[in-house]
Amino acid sequence: MTDELRVALDRRGANGAILYTKGYINNVGGEEIANRAYELMDDGVRSLLLNLRETKIVNSIGISILIEIIEKMIDKGGRIGFCCLTPVIHKTFQIMGLANYAAIFADEESAIREMSL
Amino acid sequence: MTATAERQMELTLPMIPDIEIAAARAAGNLARELGMASESIDEMAHAIIEACINAREHSGSADKRIYVRITGTSLGENDSRIDIWISDRGKGFDVTEARSRRQKLGAAHKRGWGLQIIEAHMDEVGISTRPDGTTIHMVKFGRKGAAE
Repeated sequence: MTDELRVALDRRGANGAILYTKGYINNVGGEEIANRAYELMDDGVRSLLLNLRETKIVNSIGISILIEIIEKMIDKGGRIGFCCLTPVIHKTFQIMGLANYAAIFADEESAIREMSL
Repeated sequence: MTATAERQMELTLPMIPDIEIAAARAAGNLARELGMASESIDEMAHAIIEACINAREHSGSADKRIYVRITGTSLGENDSRIDIWISDRGKGFDVTEARSRRQKLGAAHKRGWGLQIIEAHMDEVGISTRPDGTTIHMVKFGRKGAAE
């Protein structure tokens, strides 16, 4: 219908990366993020930041896929962070428990600093 | 407080991917006309999205339609109220079971969070569900003058 998700990558050294999302994180968008994230994990990335500054809408199916990404990264001994969430997306992450397993930062600068990206 | 200037729209939507965005945008436009704050509109949009996804994914309705009714009401000078009814003609569901789901990493229930999200984002939620259909009635109150 509209608002198809786009993902951009900023690779940060051998072990780190930032994914920038733009658009609706639904099932299709979540799978697109997952594909990119799993490629990065296979390539050695263990510190992954998702910058959602251009995403204004998410749904529970999309978030469930993000949780699967977090699980896989934890299994590999890595970590995932999120930054630049709208207040409503932040609240939705908290409702679904995502905020318990991934770091959430107000802005990219603090995320890069805390995650050593 | 006297309720005035009621506005109303009704939509019949096909159960196709991303149709929930159409319902959320319609309600958002009406809420903006009433001057509702943007964060309240965002919360309402996310609740509508989840209600429409629940209808599409779980109702099993034969007609594959989502029926949406939205009313907007000014409550005096500074306040407004949006009522949204999302209905389907599906098989209904167990509300108690849906409310009891909880998320854990590695758990089977990564799905099924729609109702919790709806209740967290809206001010009032009522559910009427029977073997021939479900209606979720959601209410959002908002203050005027804070819209972006």
